[in-house]
Amino acid sequence: MIVEILFQEVCGLYGDSQNPTYLEATLPDAQFIYTKLTDVPYFVNNTPDIIYIGCMSESTQRRVIETLRPYKDRICTLIDNGTPILATGNAGEIFTKTISYVSENIETEGLGIFDLQVKTDLFNRYNAMVLGELNDIKIVGFRSQFSFLYGDNSNSYFIKCIRGDGINPESKLEGMRKNNLICTQLLGPILPLNPLFCEYFLGLAGVQATAAYRESAMNAYEQRLREFSDPKIPFKHD
Amino acid sequence: MKKIRFFIAMLAGKITLFGLKLLGRNATFLPGKIAVAIDKNFLAGLTPPKTVIAVTGTNGKTTVSNLLNSILLSNGYSVTNNSLGSNVQAGVATALLEDSTLTGKAKKEIAVLEVDERSSLRIYPYLKPDYLICNNIMRDSLARNAHTEFISFIINKALPKSTKVILNADDLVCATLAPGNQERIYFGLDVDKIHEEGPLYLQDIVYCPHCGGLLTPEYLRYNHIGRMHCEKCDFRSPEPDFAITEINKDENKFTVMHNGISESYYLINDNIVNLYNFCGLIALLSTMGLSHKQISDGFAKSKIVKTRYDKLQSGDLTITMQLSKGQNPTACARCFSYVAKCPGNNKAIIFVGDDFEASESPCWFYDSNYSYLADPSINQIIFSGPRCMDQYLRAQMAGIPTDKIRTITDSTAGTELLDTQLSKDIYVLYGPYMVKQANLVKEKLIAIGAGGEDK
Ligand SMILES: [Zn+2]
Repeated sequence: MIVEILFQEVCGLYGDSQNPTYLEATLPDAQFIYTKLTDVPYFVNNTPDIIYIGCMSESTQRRVIETLRPYKDRICTLIDNGTPILATGNAGEIFTKTISYVSENIETEGLGIFDLQVKTDLFNRYNAMVLGELNDIKIVGFRSQFSFLYGDNSNSYFIKCIRGDGINPESKLEGMRKNNLICTQLLGPILPLNPLFCEYFLGLAGVQATAAYRESAMNAYEQRLREFSDPKIPFKHD
Repeated sequence: MKKIRFFIAMLAGKITLFGLKLLGRNATFLPGKIAVAIDKNFLAGLTPPKTVIAVTGTNGKTTVSNLLNSILLSNGYSVTNNSLGSNVQAGVATALLEDSTLTGKAKKEIAVLEVDERSSLRIYPYLKPDYLICNNIMRDSLARNAHTEFISFIINKALPKSTKVILNADDLVCATLAPGNQERIYFGLDVDKIHEEGPLYLQDIVYCPHCGGLLTPEYLRYNHIGRMHCEKCDFRSPEPDFAITEINKDENKFTVMHNGISESYYLINDNIVNLYNFCGLIALLSTMGLSHKQISDGFAKSKIVKTRYDKLQSGDLTITMQLSKGQNPTACARCFSYVAKCPGNNKAIIFVGDDFEASESPCWFYDSNYSYLADPSINQIIFSGPRCMDQYLRAQMAGIPTDKIRTITDSTAGTELLDTQLSKDIYVLYGPYMVKQANLVKEKLIAIGAGGEDK
């Protein structure tokens, strides 16, 4: 089993870097390939079983898009063939059609997998929580972002929100999904925070694994689930 | 019209200040807030002190501005400062209006202003600092500060080109700040070049800002603090104009080299972040024209305020109280590292966890280097507070044996789980909002040490 982690040296903000660490602990026999921004990605000439990419700064996001643009067709093939790809925080935005960085006056064309537009405004930070549902799995998560996504994701979302917003404050559908490409604006250690989702995601790669440190991860998850279900807990914060 | 608006704002601010003082309340924010609400150009309307110093950066700005204030005062300067209050626009405005005449003329010679990085745009365009000292730019509260490129973007957008910048040469995010500012002084640590390279993902600068090539570290103390160069172009960490070249912990002294001359100063505290703070201060004060004697006498008379660091003995227990800024992954990791490096082999850490009403995001735990806590000299770790289960999982992921970890939901109850047979050195780490609870824990520890509650 081969797991490719893309550009972790610059795509590991906000605790996202610990998702690969959690996968390593969950899959002790798997081989992990950490691809740097200056390397040719492993997926270009091979087929990894799982690909992960995490949060990044806005200038890094532009560089990542340009780094991946030459491999757009290959990425489409991987998605069509069902390779599980997880993109957290603003990483998923690279798969949209356009990104407008309004405070910097820059417009960038994304990889165009999803027909969505991103608006990024450095003078508006949005912090909130999400309680969502993926089939029968409850997902808990946090978001801190400068960007919202616009367009129709009703046929290509990740989770339905029970509490909190979707791709923008008017939406209740969070994230984007095409086959096993899962993009979520939830950031940070989404896998250790959601051991059930971690097991689900690995299931997409045909692996039946038990999430690492399952007992303590489940304790923390269940406590959070109780807090998130409490109507007194506010979902937006500064 | 402009002048009338300013005068009304000043008057309203002064009346609020007077009223709050009469009520015995803290007047560190509201007077300035009211003044700026009446006149948004209030700061620009002031005739500021002759010298305005802005102190900014992720970690250490309160320590730097406190020390700066006390060294300047001990040398007979009159100083306006906001170090007891708020470091956003309203706090700066409050401090300045308090020390101004009704027409807005400063009554003091120097302003030492601690400025929250994100408030730069609301302060520097109106009140141009003569000096800006920045000690580091590291990852901080992800909700408020996002990432370091964002912080640099804000400061660069706001800071006037005429400001002299005093920057940390060993922090490339900080050292490349304000590229248009010609007068630049760098400080650094030319000693203990321990390459303690942590995980690459914790570096906030990895690629060359000029050509995009991968930066090669000569050594990294932690995160991106150290010296790096680009293999593809001539970009490299700047040489420090002021460098600490020797630290003598036995004699509480350290040496700073500047222009080939070495001079010695009193060492208040040997935490690495503080060493950078001290060197930055010496660079700034020397650049302002203070003599070695003036600065070193000032250091000898200063200390770090007790709410940030305190050490006491109760019976056979040594209790160290250490502020460890919550939400700030680098500040916390520095504290972990400091505790790990302190002498002794039977240390216990009690975390007085934040007990916010909201369900706090634990993401920042994962951005902090918990592996320091795996040091064998630490034999008990007690996580208290509502997020104790998250802390437990995080610590477990960092390789800390679970038989060393205990958890309790009540932020003030950590001592209940402490085994004083196992540990005599007790470190209490707490965030700035948990001072009261931490003091309660301290009292309990003092009682345990005195034998009142021996367990
Ligand atoms: Zn270069």
